[in-house]
Amino acid sequence: MNAPALKDLLFKLADDQLVLGHRNSEWTGLGPILEEDIAFSSMAQDKIGHSLAFYTLLHEELGEQDPDTLAFTRPATEFHNSQLVELPNGEYDFSLIRHFLYDNAEIIRFESLSQSSYTPVAKVATKLKGEIKYHVLHANTWLTNLGSSTEEAILRLQSSLNELLPYALGMFEQSKYEAELIADGIYSGEEAIKTEWLKRIKNVLAKTDLQLPDPDTTAPVLGGRYGTHTPHLQALIDEMSEVFKCDPGAEW
Amino acid sequence: MNLQSLDPRVNRLNIPASTMTPMAPKSVLDQFATYEAFIQKKEGAPFTFAGAVHAPNPDVAFLFAKEQYSRRSSCTGIWIVQTAHVKLTPYASDEASIYDSFDIDKPEGVTRPLEPYEVFHQQKRGKAHTHVGRVGATSYEEAYELAKNKFSHLTPVVNVWIIKSKNILQSAEEDKDMWVTTAEKKYREAGAYRVMERIKRFKKEQQRRRSKI
Repeated sequence: MNAPALKDLLFKLADDQLVLGHRNSEWTGLGPILEEDIAFSSMAQDKIGHSLAFYTLLHEELGEQDPDTLAFTRPATEFHNSQLVELPNGEYDFSLIRHFLYDNAEIIRFESLSQSSYTPVAKVATKLKGEIKYHVLHANTWLTNLGSSTEEAILRLQSSLNELLPYALGMFEQSKYEAELIADGIYSGEEAIKTEWLKRIKNVLAKTDLQLPDPDTTAPVLGGRYGTHTPHLQALIDEMSEVFKCDPGAEW
Repeated sequence: MNLQSLDPRVNRLNIPASTMTPMAPKSVLDQFATYEAFIQKKEGAPFTFAGAVHAPNPDVAFLFAKEQYSRRSSCTGIWIVQTAHVKLTPYASDEASIYDSFDIDKPEGVTRPLEPYEVFHQQKRGKAHTHVGRVGATSYEEAYELAKNKFSHLTPVVNVWIIKSKNILQSAEEDKDMWVTTAEKKYREAGAYRVMERIKRFKKEQQRRRSKI
């Protein structure tokens, strides 16, 4: 078992889910309509639950600290999430496009991981895949409904898509263990995930009036997987861990 | 003068009211239609009314209903129908059967082909309507007559809903795994936060103090 490679993989998955879960939870109480507010908040809670599952693996299988310590006490430079998930919320179109780009990749990661040769991660991925399937259905249904509706909706979504594609491509930044993870049958690797992701998002976008900017000529925003982040991440961590840090030893 | 909002988080931002252009007034009645959601709790169980959602179309209503009505309990399927497509009888008093007191004249000379209709019973006021079965008919009126023949032995029934099968959006067989989830979701329920002990201790303390006085 290749512990450093597994840790790198699990931190990347857990940190993405935790940070996006927190960002999306910021919509709670402010969503466009009540039902959507509840659905989006519930999915944010799912994501934080997924991060917990992976932090628990890191703790119980790979000797890292307990999940709360991992989530609340690391500085931004030790987070392995992509920069896509840490960007602050703007308007709802921005969050919907991020949700669409992110979850369509996440489901492929989980499909791949459910076949992993590393059994603990395969079990977790198999169990949680169904929830992400709903997240994808939610994102794709909104995209197809709004992406071919009014001029304002189409313009807003298009401009968020143009803004976020470089960050979304940054999700597929390769780790230094890429070749080993693939060779050991642990994970299918970022390049394969990205190819499948492009196919799937193009299929959905084809049902709308939205245009995907050419991914081959769009420079990805890299660095997140190696601890390079925008200043927004540390601000998010500070807010998220404020209560925890009042009394780190408290029993909940 | 700062922007005043019902949300205290907005008020804390102290945004000057003048920098915001007021929204154009909305026209009245801009609400989405309502859809009724029915949940199947486990394989083979009847679909049971869970509640309504507002949505622009049935697909979005399904998205909403899934999170509103199935996230806290087990679920194996959802049916969605626009409220306007639900035909209902008057209400009978509890313990009575509406089939005994309510009749509709069947239209004559109807020659359209048979269509499936789904029939739902409410056993008691305040209880959820539950799917009892399906009839093939050419109109709602005929469907009610057939339901009376087929289901009136299921008493009590205080109210009947009849819905054309084609108007029901049913969750797909291949989507069943959306409800397969981790059982470790107690953090979503109030019961998982063990506060009763503390509340009891607090109440005891209060009583002790009061008895002293």
